[in-house]
Amino acid sequence: MSVQEILADENELTHLLGAQQAVVLSTRVRLARNLEGFPFPGWAKPAHRKEIAERCIEALTKLPRFRKSHVFKMGDLPDLDRAVLVERHLVSKELASGKSGAAVISRDQTCSVMVNEEDHLRIQVVKAGWHLRGTWNIAEQLDDAIGASLGLAFSDELGFLTACPTNVGTGLRASAMVHLPGLCLAGHMEKVTRALSQDGLAVRGWLGEGTEAAGNVFQISNQQTLGLSEDAILRHLGGWVKTLVEQEWNARRKLAQEEGERFVDRLARSLGLLRHARLLTSAESMNMLSHLRLACDMGCLPEERRHVVDRLMIEGQPAHVQARQGTELDSDGRDSRRATAVREALRDFPEVGAPTA
Amino acid sequence: MSNPLKCSVCDAVATVHLTQIVQGKVTKVDFCEACAAKGGAGDAAVFKLADAVNALTPAAAITCPDCGFTDVEFRRRGRLGCPSCWKVFGVALGGLLTKVQHETQHVGRAPAGTLPLGQLRHRLLAAQQEMTAAIAAEDYETAAKLRDEVARIAAQLDTL
Repeated sequence: MSVQEILADENELTHLLGAQQAVVLSTRVRLARNLEGFPFPGWAKPAHRKEIAERCIEALTKLPRFRKSHVFKMGDLPDLDRAVLVERHLVSKELASGKSGAAVISRDQTCSVMVNEEDHLRIQVVKAGWHLRGTWNIAEQLDDAIGASLGLAFSDELGFLTACPTNVGTGLRASAMVHLPGLCLAGHMEKVTRALSQDGLAVRGWLGEGTEAAGNVFQISNQQTLGLSEDAILRHLGGWVKTLVEQEWNARRKLAQEEGERFVDRLARSLGLLRHARLLTSAESMNMLSHLRLACDMGCLPEERRHVVDRLMIEGQPAHVQARQGTELDSDGRDSRRATAVREALRDFPEVGAPTA
Repeated sequence: MSNPLKCSVCDAVATVHLTQIVQGKVTKVDFCEACAAKGGAGDAAVFKLADAVNALTPAAAITCPDCGFTDVEFRRRGRLGCPSCWKVFGVALGGLLTKVQHETQHVGRAPAGTLPLGQLRHRLLAAQQEMTAAIAAEDYETAAKLRDEVARIAAQLDTL
């Protein structure tokens, strides 16, 4: 099993034509779970952590969903491979920075379970586009299957017991990765962030906690995990995402209408730059690709090109660029490789036209 | 040289300093780089967690008999030692949970093969609320159906 296979295998987020949608890039559900009778990873002795990892990996790899899965032990992986998994959101930075963590990743990369992160188990399911119920249903099935083979720490009063009080109860963090260039360009993001956080939702950047919102991409997730049913948490997030999608479309249409040729020019310039640049930093390419995604959503570029843009957003990240090259590169080397990959992928893109959406 | 500020969560040297002013009340929190990155500096939840950890009364040391974790350790890390710690530190955590989560009672799923008490409680609560609403709307037919459901769920909870 190697991270190269993860890069090469076609999966929903990077390759599957038709899975992509305007505005919502992906839907994610995460469940925090712990084994009864073992200290949480942060307090467990190395011998305990090893035993926990063995038990969990054994149980997980027996599940049908994890047939022929990838099993990665963080202690065995080179730095670059771990960074690739973080950039794909398959593992967290926290898991990647420790030696005793492991990840079991389904063949199609839809499901991944982190072992020995802050909790013994972090079950994650991710799907391209907006599919909250579908994503939740898979997570629920996985949770049941895992609960049936491993004794989970649970109390009637407090629900699933977790290391941190911010996760106890359902242990559920549901999130949507949303692309909001319209609201960003219109200068509404600060207002939106404030409204969401006042109503119990967190707004974060592309790579989750503590990251910048490169490429106008934001992650919206619930904060409260206790005292609400899973259904209530999902409905709350779902309601807000629906509102956000509507507001984003309003902002886009208003911009396109008010700016006219200037709007199309902005998108066309980004395509021109991406098609000809010899050096592209990761932030620059993310911001230009954000324009191309907007162009695909608005009908300025054919919609079926959107998955190429999504793939470039993921594969343009620093560790991905280096992993493709098979070696560590300095920043000029990365910028050059990134620019080459983008040029090649966009070579046969048509011209940016007037919006139709 | 003065002592460097310590991280509100883990006691490491703090390099990120946040000041939040809500209705004239100034709250200052200090984080080390790791905790700031983890919590997303500026995130309301981080403030709440740091506040709540700070507010825990420095009670006489409680030690978890299962894993040896202490309340002092919890103040340092903001994380518990093992599932049993939730029982051991339960009383001390009550106030913290209200601050971080607003609630103290689970109403969601239970592990596969166990009794879904939380779900039943949640359904009972929902049925009671719907019944009150139906009575207020003078929809007595619906109210009667909901009354039967409330009785059924309550009986089910009693037998568990």
